[in-house]
Amino acid sequence: MPSKYPATGKTLIIGLGNPIVADDSVGLRVAAELRSLLTGRPDVDVTEDYWGGLRLMERMIGYDRAIVIDAIRTGAPPGTIHHLTTASVPTQKSASAHDVNLPTALAFGRRAGVHLPADEDVRLIGIEADDLINFSDECTPAVTAAIPHAVQEVLQQLDSMLEGQKP
Amino acid sequence: MKRISIDPITRLEGHGKIDIFLDDQGDVANCYLQIPELRGFEKFCEGRQVEDLPNLTQRICGVCPEAHHMAGTKALDAVFRVDPPPAAKKLRELLYSVFCATDHTTHFYALGGPDFVVGPTAPKAERNILGVINKVGMEIAGKVLKMRRDGHAIIKMMGGRAIHPNWGVPGGVSRGINEEQRKEIEQLGRDAIEFAKFSLQLFADVVLKNTEYVELIKSDAYTHQVYNMGTVDANNHVNFYDGKIRVVGPDGKERFKYDAKDYRDYVAERVEPWSYLKFPYLKKVGWKGFVDGVESGVYRATPLSRLNAADGMATPLANAEYQRFYDTLGGKPVQPTLATHWARLIEILYATENWVRLATDPEVTSKDYRVLPTETPTEGVGCVEAPRGTLTHHYVTDERGIVKKVNLIVGTTNNNAPICMSVKKAAQGLIKKGKVTEGLLNMVEMAFRAYDPCFGCATHSLPGQMPLEVRLRDPQGNVLDRLTQYMG
Repeated sequence: MPSKYPATGKTLIIGLGNPIVADDSVGLRVAAELRSLLTGRPDVDVTEDYWGGLRLMERMIGYDRAIVIDAIRTGAPPGTIHHLTTASVPTQKSASAHDVNLPTALAFGRRAGVHLPADEDVRLIGIEADDLINFSDECTPAVTAAIPHAVQEVLQQLDSMLEGQKP
Repeated sequence: MKRISIDPITRLEGHGKIDIFLDDQGDVANCYLQIPELRGFEKFCEGRQVEDLPNLTQRICGVCPEAHHMAGTKALDAVFRVDPPPAAKKLRELLYSVFCATDHTTHFYALGGPDFVVGPTAPKAERNILGVINKVGMEIAGKVLKMRRDGHAIIKMMGGRAIHPNWGVPGGVSRGINEEQRKEIEQLGRDAIEFAKFSLQLFADVVLKNTEYVELIKSDAYTHQVYNMGTVDANNHVNFYDGKIRVVGPDGKERFKYDAKDYRDYVAERVEPWSYLKFPYLKKVGWKGFVDGVESGVYRATPLSRLNAADGMATPLANAEYQRFYDTLGGKPVQPTLATHWARLIEILYATENWVRLATDPEVTSKDYRVLPTETPTEGVGCVEAPRGTLTHHYVTDERGIVKKVNLIVGTTNNNAPICMSVKKAAQGLIKKGKVTEGLLNMVEMAFRAYDPCFGCATHSLPGQMPLEVRLRDPQGNVLDRLTQYMG
């Protein structure tokens, strides 16, 4: 049966976060920078969302590759940039009781017959957060300082993923 | 039982942490559930224009932004003392019905349902949405995905954005729908009714035909004698968007019925030294602790409590299921916590029928979807039934509409006390003389998962899993054992 949601061959860059919770907004801020830098690239879509799990999987439908940018907390110094895959996402402060994890969501989507990036074509860029609990319009200084670095990391990640696709 | 001294050490932050205190005999004395709470929202809102609050408040919760948006919008109506035209109310209720049906679907198939569809004793690795597919069939994946995508598409179409509707304004909504959009919403709603019927049939086949499951649902370990809260329409039928708040006692009889604006006469919020969370209770009954009974002001605000607080459902198919629900489970009120899963499915059917009812109302394509407010803003309360319980927004402004005070009682918060009680009851059956029976985590998880609790509003960070940590403590608070399980 042909999929109702066919492959587009494109790459999705998606920032996750809450714009009004301090460092939780960092993924959105990185995505905003990337949107202006990648304007005019027909093979890349830059977007944002607020939630992982099933919702994030649904945003990836039709794409061949995805780069997810989000705040993370591992105990490293704030602003540290982490490179992760769906298999290596740490189970720390995350998602909620109201959802499933991303690998489960991706497996579910594939069984529903939609086109999704392969697990190895989903990259996660995590920016170590300091404050994930206070409402604020701003990130903390160390995390703010990491934004341009995270932007460059995403661009490099994008290049390396696309490089891998060339014959 | 030794008196438990609560010191600041036990006032712990965390996510999904449960502290079980044992008495000197090693039996369960008390259980405390710790849920993280984002801080400083009230301060964040102070000094802002009140019109911004439906858009700000919907960001405090990653699970139910639409519920906050709607409660906030209704609070704005009250702040500006403006009554939206009928078309606006219908459009709001239409979007809200679509949201509730979509949200409940996620809970049943991804979270609550696996406990029953795959089985409460099935290995953890199989008790998830993939296990449901394996058991029921591949086609279920496509049905669930379509239901979610259709719901999100309509919310985007009506609300103007894929995430966080930018739609509700005091006196109405910012845009209406045209005939072409109405037809599409109607068609998707008809599909959704079929999906809801399919889901109820699945529940009937897998759960209700299994005597063991029905006995588990009805078992005392998962039952509480508490008050039940829900919003009802003029006929005392369940309504998610508007009506009066009705509270029935453990005997099923109506005790209170009030307008949302009067909530503070009926609901008080208790602060416990060991938790940052508040514990709402019925003011006129009083707080007697985390206990059952007619003398205890503990209440539930859940899909189950909404059914108990009503006399029926406003739509025909859902009402037939409502009657079947009470016939099967022994009349009103139904108090077993696990019956909440069935109640949630009945609410999906109601929401989808209401979706089509509103989508076929000629007035929803009217251009008369807003009246401009002319009164000086003051103070207002807005209330809706969020999927997880009655949601109340209360705003106070100065005469320019600048926010002076915000108070929110969110869905899950209503249920803080009964969740603690449910966890305790499940734990009591599984911990005897300091020995923990295998399966404690599963049973405890089932007890509070039925409430669909919303942890960690909005703070999610990298997509991962929600860890449930249970710590056993002696009467002095020393940790004896620590158990962790990842949900989802």
